[in-house]
Amino acid sequence: MSITTDTSVEAGSTAWETALDDAPVALSAAGDLVAVAGAEGSVLIADAATGTEVGGLELPGGALSVALSRDAQHLAVTGPTGYALWSRSRVSPLIVETGAWSSTAAWADNGRVAVASGRRALVLDPAGETQWATEPAASTVTDLAWMRNGRRLAVAAYGAVRAHERHTDKPVVTYPYVGSHLALAVAPTGRWICSGNQDASIHIWRTRDGSELTMSGYREKVSRLAFDDTGYWLAADGAPDVTVWNFSGKGPAGTAPRSLQCHDTVTALAWRPGGAGHLASGGHDGTVALWQATAGRPQARMRPSRTLPAASAVAALAWSGPHLLIAAHRDGRVRAHRLPSRNTL
Amino acid sequence: MSAKQDDRVPVTVLTGFLGSGKTTLLNRILTENHGLRIAVIENEFGEVGIDDALVLDSEEEIFEMNNGCICCTVRGDLIRILGALMRRREKFDHILIETTGLADPAPVAQTFFMDDEIAAQLRLDAIVTLVDAAHVLQHLDEKKPDGVENEAVEQLAFADRVVLNKTDLADEQTIAEVIARIRGINAPVEIIPARHAEVELNRILDVGAFDLERVLKDDPQFLTETEHQHDTTVTSVGIEIDGEVDEGRLNAWLGKLLREKGADIFRSKGILALAGSDRRYVFQGVHMLFVGENGAPWREGEARRNRLVFIGRNLDREALTHGFARCVVTAGAAV
Repeated sequence: MSITTDTSVEAGSTAWETALDDAPVALSAAGDLVAVAGAEGSVLIADAATGTEVGGLELPGGALSVALSRDAQHLAVTGPTGYALWSRSRVSPLIVETGAWSSTAAWADNGRVAVASGRRALVLDPAGETQWATEPAASTVTDLAWMRNGRRLAVAAYGAVRAHERHTDKPVVTYPYVGSHLALAVAPTGRWICSGNQDASIHIWRTRDGSELTMSGYREKVSRLAFDDTGYWLAADGAPDVTVWNFSGKGPAGTAPRSLQCHDTVTALAWRPGGAGHLASGGHDGTVALWQATAGRPQARMRPSRTLPAASAVAALAWSGPHLLIAAHRDGRVRAHRLPSRNTL
Repeated sequence: MSAKQDDRVPVTVLTGFLGSGKTTLLNRILTENHGLRIAVIENEFGEVGIDDALVLDSEEEIFEMNNGCICCTVRGDLIRILGALMRRREKFDHILIETTGLADPAPVAQTFFMDDEIAAQLRLDAIVTLVDAAHVLQHLDEKKPDGVENEAVEQLAFADRVVLNKTDLADEQTIAEVIARIRGINAPVEIIPARHAEVELNRILDVGAFDLERVLKDDPQFLTETEHQHDTTVTSVGIEIDGEVDEGRLNAWLGKLLREKGADIFRSKGILALAGSDRRYVFQGVHMLFVGENGAPWREGEARRNRLVFIGRNLDREALTHGFARCVVTAGAAV
């Protein structure tokens, strides 16, 4: 008889599996919790180590995104007709049915969350009290990101990314670009703001001087963008290949991206915490691929270091720390995969 | 008739002026015992509410595409809502999009061309325009400032089906006049007279109006110039020429035409015989956007006949006919 220890765990093996009675659309992991939201509004909150249900809620009208606060004490869920806030210390969640499209939520710190609500962004405390709100943007807000340690909020909508601060409902800086900005990513260095566009491009602003750059030539709209922890690397969808741009030094102007070739349609992207350049991607075909995404040369066409056994289409991916990758699949299955080594995949 | 089974969910766009009977028709569709699971996207909140249907509210958001094409706009609200709808587990048999009488149908139609995620899972089945027989002439005659298209004219130009509603409230002469005006704008459109929005649903739902073989095959009447040419600048031009078409010449001609005149050409459709192909080539466009694919094979001994129709503003029939005739390589019959 042998005793299994953590060090002998096979990379990619399943730590736990659970199911949501809904089609998952979003995942969030923080501290000891994982939250998964379904298209019809079911939200499951589970213990990250075991997959055991800790809580849950139903958002009427469906769900679009889910976000745990960093301390895993609070959860924001957004959907087509409103949003919800859940706290560990509260008996029942706060459900706010506004009738307005809430595309996403982003926590500034453990006490403040920005929630998109129609054409505005609201900054709420965990009890749901509005601290401040932006003026309406030109269209429904599509994405949000905090800058400057949670003091400045970048809001993406049609025609511009607007940066807001508490003292005024008007933007403090506007980054205009004609087009429908679907996804927003701000480098952790604070140096770059990037938007993924309906017109199949990535638009980039350097925050220091507002200078612009457009990466066009994608085959499809770019609706997923993610910076790694260092802020030097940006991963994007928009083509069958995941593209990875180098934002170190003077940025990506005049450079070519690395292309990660595995999926026909990319449905999820998540950088492994820690800055080792490890990326997880998910595809419509159900494959989860793991990449040494920053290895190789620019313009290199790369193959995954490892793929995890295919299931139904990947709906979302999230890392619960560096050693546990959570994958939600369209059929409702949620799997946690162990990746015990910090240096390899 | 198409070669491969199209299992995309059909989408009907229901448009028409306030008072034309859209809500009545919508309620009729939703309450009729057809067994279909329908999702409705509507502009006016809370007008319909049926247990069996999912009703979603939308506010028109028109987005320009950043591709140098001025008339290339899409409906951001629809991309968003349809995207979320398709992520649900429940499957819909049909989706209805209701737009207001002031909405421009072009961005709605173009959304189905421009967004790959939508195009992969949904197909635009038909644009159905409701018309109030007693009041539509008044809307059609309304003068608009320069550069602004009369919305009633635009909605008729884009229509695949026109439901001529409230025929009980208009006299025969008015109805004849209305039909002539509709044909003047959109010659090939199927006009369905109705009272109280009573329409057989199989005439407006899942009709495959964007399936051109069906439209163009049995309806050659649009090819003839209509007698009632009012002073409207929006008309349709039908072209029918026998022979085989050179693909290179066709692409050059159509590409240039849509690039230069695309803003004025609302809809274009055609079934063509390409040289060297034993299958029909079926295309359609909305303004500058255009999709084509292979359709059913030609039968043995069947005459290779090309049929096209353009609906738009200030169309030059002669130039269009000659332009296309120059793409035909093998000797055809009468032009």
